[in-house]
Amino acid sequence: MSLKNILENWSQYRRGHEQGGHHEYEHMWGMAIDLNKCIGCNACSVACYAENNLAIVGKHRYSKSQAMHWMRIERYWDEPELEKAGLVTKGKTIETGASFLPMLCQQCNAATCEPVCPVAATYHTPDGLNAQVYNRCIGSRYCSNNCPYRLRYFNFWSYYEDSWPEPLHMQLNPDLSVRDKGVMEKCTFCVQRIRVAKDEAKMADRKVIDGEFQTSCQQSCPTDAIVFGDMLDPQSRVTKLWKTHQVELGKSKQSKQNPDKRGYRVLEGLNTDPCIMYLERVREV
Amino acid sequence: MARVLWAPFLAALVAVFVLLSSPVTYAEVPNAVPPKGEHNGKDVPQPIEFPHDIHAKINEINCMYCHTYARRSKVAGIPPTSKCMGCHSVIATDKPRIQKLTEYWEKRESPPWKKVHDVPDYVHFTHEKHLKRFVFDNEGMEVERVSEVCAFCHGEVKNMTVANKVKPLNMGFCVRCHEANDGPSDCWKCHK
Amino acid sequence: MSGNQINRRDFLKIMGWSGAGVALAGCDRPTTVTLHEGKEEVVSYLMPEEYVIPGVGVYYATTCQQCPAGCGIHGRVREGRVLKAEGNPDSPVNYGKLCQMGQAGVQGHYNPDRMTKPHIRKGGNLVEASWDEAMALLKQKVGPDSGLAGDRFAWFTGQVSGHQAVLVNALMDSLGSERHYVHEVVNNAVTRAVNKDMLGVATPRYRIDEAKAILSFGADFLGAGQSPVHYATEYATFRTGDRGVLMVAEPKMSLTGANADLWMAVRPGTEGVLALGIANELVIRHKRKIDNLPAEVRDLITHYDLDTTAQITGVAGDRIVKATQWLHSRTPSLVLAGQSAENQAHGYQIAAATMLLNMVLGNVGRTIVPGTELPFPQLAAKQGGTADLRAFAKAVEQGAYDAVFFYNTNPAYTAPSYMKLAEKLQSKVGFKVVLTQFPDETAKQIADLVLPLHSPFEDWGTHVAASSYDEAVISMQQPLMEPLYPTTRGFGDIVLDVLKMRDSDNYGQYADYYAYLSQAFGALSADWQKTLQTGLLKVEGQAQRINAKAVKVSLPDYKQNAEFPYHLVPSARLGLWDGRHANIPWLQEAPDQISKVVWDSWAEMHPATADKLGVSTGDYITVTSDQGTIETQVYVFNGIHPDVVAVPMGQGHEEYGRYAKGRGVNPLKLISPKHDAKTGELALYGTRVKVAKAGRSEALVRMGGPGRNEAQLGRKLVATVTADVYRRTEGANDVA
Repeated sequence: MSLKNILENWSQYRRGHEQGGHHEYEHMWGMAIDLNKCIGCNACSVACYAENNLAIVGKHRYSKSQAMHWMRIERYWDEPELEKAGLVTKGKTIETGASFLPMLCQQCNAATCEPVCPVAATYHTPDGLNAQVYNRCIGSRYCSNNCPYRLRYFNFWSYYEDSWPEPLHMQLNPDLSVRDKGVMEKCTFCVQRIRVAKDEAKMADRKVIDGEFQTSCQQSCPTDAIVFGDMLDPQSRVTKLWKTHQVELGKSKQSKQNPDKRGYRVLEGLNTDPCIMYLERVREV
Repeated sequence: MARVLWAPFLAALVAVFVLLSSPVTYAEVPNAVPPKGEHNGKDVPQPIEFPHDIHAKINEINCMYCHTYARRSKVAGIPPTSKCMGCHSVIATDKPRIQKLTEYWEKRESPPWKKVHDVPDYVHFTHEKHLKRFVFDNEGMEVERVSEVCAFCHGEVKNMTVANKVKPLNMGFCVRCHEANDGPSDCWKCHK
Repeated sequence: MSGNQINRRDFLKIMGWSGAGVALAGCDRPTTVTLHEGKEEVVSYLMPEEYVIPGVGVYYATTCQQCPAGCGIHGRVREGRVLKAEGNPDSPVNYGKLCQMGQAGVQGHYNPDRMTKPHIRKGGNLVEASWDEAMALLKQKVGPDSGLAGDRFAWFTGQVSGHQAVLVNALMDSLGSERHYVHEVVNNAVTRAVNKDMLGVATPRYRIDEAKAILSFGADFLGAGQSPVHYATEYATFRTGDRGVLMVAEPKMSLTGANADLWMAVRPGTEGVLALGIANELVIRHKRKIDNLPAEVRDLITHYDLDTTAQITGVAGDRIVKATQWLHSRTPSLVLAGQSAENQAHGYQIAAATMLLNMVLGNVGRTIVPGTELPFPQLAAKQGGTADLRAFAKAVEQGAYDAVFFYNTNPAYTAPSYMKLAEKLQSKVGFKVVLTQFPDETAKQIADLVLPLHSPFEDWGTHVAASSYDEAVISMQQPLMEPLYPTTRGFGDIVLDVLKMRDSDNYGQYADYYAYLSQAFGALSADWQKTLQTGLLKVEGQAQRINAKAVKVSLPDYKQNAEFPYHLVPSARLGLWDGRHANIPWLQEAPDQISKVVWDSWAEMHPATADKLGVSTGDYITVTSDQGTIETQVYVFNGIHPDVVAVPMGQGHEEYGRYAKGRGVNPLKLISPKHDAKTGELALYGTRVKVAKAGRSEALVRMGGPGRNEAQLGRKLVATVTADVYRRTEGANDVA
């Protein structure tokens, strides 16, 4: 498949939402993460390591920001809204807990990483996913420089050489590659699980059923804070959540009927059109 | 006389025309354009020189009788040793190859087969969907003739003893076939 | 699992799996070119069951052994290898969910530093030995002709339950021994003792999901608690609908504290005062009736007015008022005591004071309710603490034992240095057998005989959770794959072999532990195959009975210590736990939830304290108790009391494989010899220390790096709404 083919045929799934155009998606995988439920326990992150063959980089490389945590839990101490409203004071000791934010590839429909890739190794799929094709990647790292969420991880070294000394390598998931030096990687929404579910549905001549598979992070989450599904399926849990919380795809600013509804997308003002909706954290004040 | 002389010529001409214009006549699998490409595979010595020809050609055993996983999984699978022994605990037990097999079986070990057809780790190829497309959902195609579909990528294995790689199984080979048969061309369909 | 006659054990043996040497396509090193034929081997099955299809994962149910909670798991197995652990949705412990430690179980199983062969100490060194030699040595030392007197033998283990506990007991019976020490650093032993006295049951069921307000005194139920996944699932319910309020009072912010609506930095050891101060506020301000409490308790409560409480505990009065208000207005509530409160020199009194507060609030019977117990007490979990560690150290010192078996515990690492446990064991106990998966400190430093165990994914067993849930279940443990090493053995098999030496009449009939277990299940008239399939045997439980009874508490005055002005908090974390997971690379690389530090130790410190010392994040400090000194880097943040320095447990291993050894420091070594008078539990959080600048500095390696990822800088990353808004818009109709 030529680069020309990719640019002509597959950029059609990329939605700069100011444009109209051809958007006949097969699926639109999306997520909702409820920060009211997220406890910051890190189960999702380690589940991701287990599922996606994420390399261990060790202390020194970690200090150089080379950690490969596709799903990472960011932790903030400030609460800008509540502080602005004078509802909490962050003084000498903390009055409330921390703020946790599970951060993974936002699978933007107008992804900033895609158009800068010189070899079309990252592109938009008919599933609405932001794909990363490892064997096509030449490691220019333009995409990660362009990602406002800093969710792309580069293999500066052949991490696998140190990461899975025998017999640890026997745990590696054969459903996806082990990445080598010079390749960019990031969260895929567990595309290997999507692929299996789609294959099974196809073999049985049916559609993928909502909930028949879960992403690894979602499956592990003890508080069910993560909901994943197909947003083209009007009956899916994720679609209903987005609707309830009045967040729509294809907007850089939501016009909510009820501004108290908790849904928001991180940095959506940048016009990235992410497929992950967060539900605001709740505080008793 | 002249007519008599012309007839075979015309027949030959028609045959050539048909051959060129309609692939159906030489590709026996209906609704399919076989992939093009050749590969000159080297011989791979196996622990037991398994004769595909005796099984698939002479005894006309269906490929999927032994490679039973092909229609249920992404891999076709090497048949479990128990499957071999299912027949060979009684058939041809005097042959050296079968005696070797029996040795493995009695040691509770599988023969260490060498992989002949392989694709890189970043490629997701699934047998079951290809069989669905070209055999089970393919109108006019009989399951008995499945070896002709297998041959798309594996060559005429029924004419070989141990399998030899005769198709390149590289991306161009796959993509040309996908283009000709209207297969998906999304990168993430096949790359993982 | 399928209808045919091959049983599960044989099935594993005939998979054609021949160990670690086999090249497995797709799970190895990256291949970037089309492979040449004949390069790789392809393993076929010898004789698979019908449902086993190459390329398709099969899930087997078993029980997680990463912490004592006992979550049910499904192991994903493909081509004879276990690849991933998922929660078992049918388990009443974890409802299909799994924490990071459970996820990391596979890295314990495939750990490159497993103990793979028996070792015998010869001339001070551990020397590789065969199983024949090992069993001959066992026979010589504990066999019928060994002359070992029953009371000269003891077990020293972590929590055990199910049929392993039965075998442990059986071995003691066969020897005439009565000593089984159970040691867990992360425990709720004091709370159990208080519950036993004040409620009549040690482990009632806590209904976090039913509570509208929770006040936790250092109970890290979301993190390093008794059943983190279970309580996290209940927490999710607690936070939806009429959304409960979470208040946490503790010296250093735990994971639970990090999720609090109101977090209170309390001076360590004064939690009991805070509890009674809040009770007092409830009486005075909210006119709560406490007539049901004994007069002396009522009298005691009146001692702690708001000002006194604020002064003693260091918690600002307005926060106490706020907490009281929420507890009063939102019923039912729930007050919990955890490690930082109860592992003090008067921990029992503190925990009892928090239970009194529950009684004032009327929570007993509403959020503290009778649980369901297994009707087979012999299978119940033998729960541990640190009192047994103390008792054991003392007995060893007195030369009480000739032979000790260690299992599922690493006391050479967890015992405070004042106990000099390793030295005493070396000089006073003739024969120390360590049954372990890993070359830990106990194996390397003190064992005379090391017996390498199967991993939990290779072994058989049954487990019973220590906490009470909706249903009483026996949770199965079964092999997910053939053992990686031919020279490791199952725990049950080894104990059974020793039992056969001593009591062949009763145990000679069992070929192995599998035979024993399947027969035991027959005795329970349970369907063995079905139990293996679901991983759980649900049985009719016995309901507990709760009889609330207030006890008198006495809280000592808070004392300053001029020489050692700071409190040491050796915090436990969900991740490395008590240090048992320091050899798992995923968990080393998983940041601490609070400080985000990876691969090392650190000391948490309040900014005011850091200013006083003239240190900032990354600077090295020394932390000195009367037992010794450790040196580590500072992490400065607000979620800690200014009089506290917190050093998490888990690092500082002298052995334990490549990922753990020589990394960070072990705060447990600093613990002073203090204990709770009533329960004998170590006062793990009662050690006083002094802190000094070490004079060197280095970037503290953590997620986000120095100075980053601490503040949102005005960006809408984590947006917040108030609970009022949440209840108004979502209320009980939450769609998620």
